[in-house]
Amino acid sequence: MIETVQLFITCIIDTLYPETGEAVVRVLHKAGVEVSFPPGQTCCGQPAFNAGLRQQARKMAIQTIRAFETYPGPVVVPSGSCASMIRHSYSELFAGDPIWLPRAVALAERTYEFSEYLVDVLGITDLEARFDGGITYHSSCHLLRGLGVDRQPRALLAAVRKAEFVELPETGDCCGFGGVFSIEHPEISAAMLDRKIANLEASGASIVVACDAGCVTNINGGLHRKHKPQRAVHIAEILDKP
Amino acid sequence: MANIFRSRIRSSLADKNLQSALDANAERRIRVRKEAFATFSNPQALRERAHAVRADVVEHLGYYLEQFITHVQENGMVVHHAVDADQAIKLVQAIALQHGAKLIAKSKTMVSEEIGLNHALEKGGLEVIETDLGEYIVQLRGEPPSHIITPAVHLRRQDVGRLFQEKLGLPYTEDISIMTNAARRTLRQVFLNADIGISGVNFGVAETGTVCVVTNEGNGRMVTTVPPVHIALMGIERLVPTMDDLSLMLTLLPRSATGQKLSVYTSLLNSPRRSGDPDGPQERHIILVDNGRRDVQTSGLSEILYCIRCGACLNACPVFREIGGHAYVNLSGKISPYPGPIGSVVSPALFGQLEYGHLARASSLCGACREACPIDIDLPKLLLRVRTGIQSGQAGSNSKPNAPRALSIGLKIFSLAASSPWRFVIAQRLAGLFGSLATIFSKKDPWLRLPDFSGWGYSKDFPRPAARTFRERYRKHDQPVARPTEQTSLPGMAQAVRSADKGTARDQAPKGIVGFASELKALGGNFISCEPDKVSQCILEILRTRKINQLMAWEASFLPAGLIEQLTAAGILICHPTTETIETTCQVRAGLTGASGGIADTGSLLLLGGPGRPLTASLLPELHIALLWEKDVFENLSQILQREDVKQAPAAVLITGPSRTADIEMALTIGVHGPGELQVICIKNG
Repeated sequence: MIETVQLFITCIIDTLYPETGEAVVRVLHKAGVEVSFPPGQTCCGQPAFNAGLRQQARKMAIQTIRAFETYPGPVVVPSGSCASMIRHSYSELFAGDPIWLPRAVALAERTYEFSEYLVDVLGITDLEARFDGGITYHSSCHLLRGLGVDRQPRALLAAVRKAEFVELPETGDCCGFGGVFSIEHPEISAAMLDRKIANLEASGASIVVACDAGCVTNINGGLHRKHKPQRAVHIAEILDKP
Repeated sequence: MANIFRSRIRSSLADKNLQSALDANAERRIRVRKEAFATFSNPQALRERAHAVRADVVEHLGYYLEQFITHVQENGMVVHHAVDADQAIKLVQAIALQHGAKLIAKSKTMVSEEIGLNHALEKGGLEVIETDLGEYIVQLRGEPPSHIITPAVHLRRQDVGRLFQEKLGLPYTEDISIMTNAARRTLRQVFLNADIGISGVNFGVAETGTVCVVTNEGNGRMVTTVPPVHIALMGIERLVPTMDDLSLMLTLLPRSATGQKLSVYTSLLNSPRRSGDPDGPQERHIILVDNGRRDVQTSGLSEILYCIRCGACLNACPVFREIGGHAYVNLSGKISPYPGPIGSVVSPALFGQLEYGHLARASSLCGACREACPIDIDLPKLLLRVRTGIQSGQAGSNSKPNAPRALSIGLKIFSLAASSPWRFVIAQRLAGLFGSLATIFSKKDPWLRLPDFSGWGYSKDFPRPAARTFRERYRKHDQPVARPTEQTSLPGMAQAVRSADKGTARDQAPKGIVGFASELKALGGNFISCEPDKVSQCILEILRTRKINQLMAWEASFLPAGLIEQLTAAGILICHPTTETIETTCQVRAGLTGASGGIADTGSLLLLGGPGRPLTASLLPELHIALLWEKDVFENLSQILQREDVKQAPAAVLITGPSRTADIEMALTIGVHGPGELQVICIKNG
């Protein structure tokens, strides 16, 4: 039986990068699963949660739980931080809540980050993708340290035809995004991003791949401002290339 | 407002010297910590065990405190309770007054920074000298430490050179060993003349009443051994239940702080000087400082009390790396005693959300702090809780988030939109419309340049929102496959399997004497294997090449039979130092001691104090010769700490290599307050 996954596209990809979202869908199809898009989804609540606004975060989290709980099967999220929010932070957000905590936990238990789902659940690493050029990989914070996902995206990239993979120095260092942090502390965020960009330049790669649209937005925003030729792309866009 | 914080951030970022010092700190400290942890077979298991130990202590704080206090008093030390900073200061002042004290020698204590002790004592006319090299430097500069482990991490050697020129009259130099030597000479007199020694406490052991103080330079040993009165300042949460737990903490603390397997000197203090003891203070006082800790214990921030102050989270934090410790200021501009991730939780918790809460917002929540924490404290979780406005001593539900107003308003609007799909779609359409308009005005540039005040626009451009969102495009060609069903729960996801083994060290053959020797050599100590009948020759050889003819030594009954006589016959002048003769004996260049044990795993020696065994013989001279019987070499720290005599001695010390510091530009300098040369003569089993 063909499995159907419930796609939680995330508010950033939905609003800013519909093409990335489409690449995610195509890659999932390529991996042999059906994709369903529960229409009630909005945002997981992470921005408000990170800002300390628990009440608002709860509203969005409840919306997310409601949007997915009537749709069975794995929930796939193409963003490490949103997946980590659901898997780890929902239990903090609903701690002691007899109604919502079990429902949040039920969602958390079937939620997977995109690359994690492909590699760990489906057991697929080779998506017969092709990319001509040098690529490197940025280990996003919540993906790496929150979910412990690192070998999965690396395995997927290792299988990409023609791609010349180089390691990004200090790949696990934060790019300076941190959601509301980048707005509240633009100076520190900028300094952290400068470091990331310097490391990217040192790697020699023209493309840095990440599994989180937040990091992609942050890194590209800095690269564009500085008129740098390199670009950050979401992993789905690489895996999608035939 | 937090504007002072912002201006500190900006000035830190613009300070090139500071930036290079912070970069060097992060790079080196992260590397050595990782290397040190690589010697464990399962570091995660150790962290989990340490977490459980500390959680148990904090949860049952009253119980362990009572146990600790009972044993401390049985051991003859005096216990005082300070509810707050003011009381703690008054207690120290009262002890100082009682003894007519004028000069106080201090080794590093973060609690003293927390309560502002130096300033208060100086106002009362006392002279207070910090004796940790880094702490001494920042005291001379009149500033607080910028790091809880390496107080002068923000300075370069040129800064210290100029400082010593100005304050100590030392000709300007950039040679770190010359500067270190100058500090050694000045501070040596301070140790000898001090009326009181004040130290912090790394751990208190509840089951024995032992106080553990860890230093590298030897200043911790000096202030707890030489002055007639010792006062230990201790946060009430700094307890471990058993010696075995202490062993675990000592395994983790130095590795996390400096990448060492053990710090050079681990002092285990059980009692003041007893009758018959050659040295040690007449009185030992322990001031148990609460200063808000009990309130934190019952709040949602209690996990922060698990902290063992290793400083690993500071070194790992990308924000600390950019701004340094002095940038972490409260609303009034006062520097937080505890900087970095730990400080951004501890300071709001102990000193108030209102004054310090904004510090927790200066984090990208990247999790590097938690990853580095040897106790596996969930720092991002706690930072997030501080952001909700949580206060100690107050139920969480009353808290008011400390987000800036504009951000709160923005997020409230966003959450209103995002808590209903149709409102969300309308918001997306508006954003898309804005994006399309922006495209027209920006000549199809897909990037928006937002103003600086937006925060984002400060250094980055923003992608314009798509004219048609993913969901719109998706619906066009791909209808949802979803079929609403009953709520189901699938089997749990693949979680990282956590090994249950203890993970202390890699499975390997016993290291034994060979391991001990190689560890000791790696530390800069020298290992000499010796036949039982050749010991005196061996010692004489060492002394002769250094043109030394005087020895301060343990008494004959604690050394191999006939040894003292043989040395005397060879023309060596032997003295047995006591506190009373310290002024003269401290001129002697070499010390001879036995050792009650060795640790193969770390190259450490165990020395017990007590009658006939002066601790100063292994502390004051520049050369320390220790005699270790081969049969007394144990495999690991845990075995040594289980020994009954460690608990019975008035004071014991683990010595791991020669005295050292890396407080100036992290350059390793050997021989600060303790001996710069360590010769271990290992006597073969006869």
